[in-house]
Amino acid sequence: MSAAPMSRRQGSGTPRMLRELRSLRVLLIHPDDQDGQELNAQLQRIGCQLRATWPPQEQLPEEVDLIFFAMRPEVMSMDIPWLKREDLPPIIAVVNYENPTIIEAVVRLNATAVVASPVKSFGLLTSVVLARHLADERQEQQKYIGKLEQRLNGLRKIAKAKQILMNTRGLSEEDAYKVIRDQAMAKRVTTEEIADAVINANEILGMDAAPRKASGGK
Amino acid sequence: MAQTAEPIRIGVLFSETGVTSVIERTERMGTLLAAEEINEQGGINGQPIELVSRDPASDPTRFAQLAERLILEDGVRIILGCYMSSTRKAIIPVVEKWHALLMYPTLYEGFEYSRNVIYTGAAPNQNSVQLAEFMMRRFGSRVFLLGSDYIYPYESNRIMNDLIAEHGGEKVDEHYLPLDAGPDDYAAIVKRIKQSAPDFVFSTVVGDGTALLHRAFAKAGLDPARMPIASLTTCEAEVQQMGADIAEGHITSAVYFQSVPNEVNSACVARCKQRFGPDVVTNMCWEAAYFQTHLLANALRRAESDNVRELLRVLPGSEFAAPQGLVRIDEDNHHTYLRPRIGRVNAKGQFDILEEATSWVRPDPYLVEHSLKDWSATVRLQAQ
Repeated sequence: MSAAPMSRRQGSGTPRMLRELRSLRVLLIHPDDQDGQELNAQLQRIGCQLRATWPPQEQLPEEVDLIFFAMRPEVMSMDIPWLKREDLPPIIAVVNYENPTIIEAVVRLNATAVVASPVKSFGLLTSVVLARHLADERQEQQKYIGKLEQRLNGLRKIAKAKQILMNTRGLSEEDAYKVIRDQAMAKRVTTEEIADAVINANEILGMDAAPRKASGGK
Repeated sequence: MAQTAEPIRIGVLFSETGVTSVIERTERMGTLLAAEEINEQGGINGQPIELVSRDPASDPTRFAQLAERLILEDGVRIILGCYMSSTRKAIIPVVEKWHALLMYPTLYEGFEYSRNVIYTGAAPNQNSVQLAEFMMRRFGSRVFLLGSDYIYPYESNRIMNDLIAEHGGEKVDEHYLPLDAGPDDYAAIVKRIKQSAPDFVFSTVVGDGTALLHRAFAKAGLDPARMPIASLTTCEAEVQQMGADIAEGHITSAVYFQSVPNEVNSACVARCKQRFGPDVVTNMCWEAAYFQTHLLANALRRAESDNVRELLRVLPGSEFAAPQGLVRIDEDNHHTYLRPRIGRVNAKGQFDILEEATSWVRPDPYLVEHSLKDWSATVRLQAQ
């Protein structure tokens, strides 16, 4: 007797990424050739909401959750401004060459999955789910990194403000921090904002230089 | 002239030995019956068909080897065959490589399309959701999931898990037994079933394990009237193998039962008994094997060749008055419109059909999220 294999989720239900396939709005940027038709037919079978277009338009249509992008030599010289957008939906590159020029273009496209020509129905569903999952994860990570950067920046400011207070007021590090924290609580703002104010005041009043001069100019 | 015409050779790969041979032999029987009928009716525009049958012994590697040999050495372009998904998956690269055609007469877990395959068994939207809806309505929603350890049970249980959750029910347990598990394994699992007392058992056990499960179930004194085993695969063939006494009262969701009351079916069953013996029983896989051979013959007649490209032009969209009722191959996904039914085994080893869809159901092999509401709202089951 064996327990349920590791790959089976126990009782958590089918993941969102899979359940959403029927409402997924897919933009297929691909010539209407055999690969394009195969992609079209298989995405219809999967049940996605599908729009097809070729060549790539200058504007990215509204309400797109996923893009299939045929990385053809003829599009490489085109200027497609929306490709630089920050809020770009996940992209699956469809490639029919594997030379370094095309590969480099796929990398620049920031694709999270790739489908190779000749396109087969098998494997497409996995690519769709994986491309969205990776793009989602990337977005989450970006958000998290943003938060961490903000926090790190805050900590740096507090450290600098503490240093200023220690130098100008002769406080210990602990007391310097207490001053910042008490001010923040009294004014109902964050400690980062108080630290900002201390740093600004110090820069304006030149307090940073004064004590050093005073102590150094005896 | 028919006798002298060169026959059209068609490959047949159903296991005559191995763990799923009981059911695969019935698929071979359905194929054979149809082929003989086709030849009696004058073959393909005067040309007889000749079945080239091999025994792949329930082994995926053998399936792939024999498929390639049929194509390369026997000059076959069409293969009728496969039961387990693993064996179908093994054949697909071969038929795609040589641009041959596989017709697959078995229910399976969906999520597949190959240009070179026609699927004539049920997709999950044609049996799973119906079974879940019926069982939870009639028996309750505390469910014990038990399956053989391979892909079909995993995927069937994924769907069942979602449907139980949708209903607000409870999964009591989920267990998988190896395909070659023995009586002791089944006795142990039935002990757990008895202890946890679910409202019903959802079984995706296939092959010889089906009989072992039912035997252990009966031995433990469990009453199918109060706690039945619900299955997508247990059919007349397995019931005959295990004996009606231990199968009686258990429930199966299928698109065909031997007891389907219509003239096409009774005539077909009668011919089958006449040809293969009075004790022979038919089942859903037999039926799909039977009607897909006729669908193929019609396509061969229309295409006037066994060129696969031509056949694939005429097969999608084609219809046939099968024993279960009219069936149709879908143009877009190569699966088949079929008619869901719920049956309960009676004392004679046949199924009493408890409910039946009012119309055929379009196959939707890529449906991830099944819903009890979709089913009961759009296709009502009618009590017979």
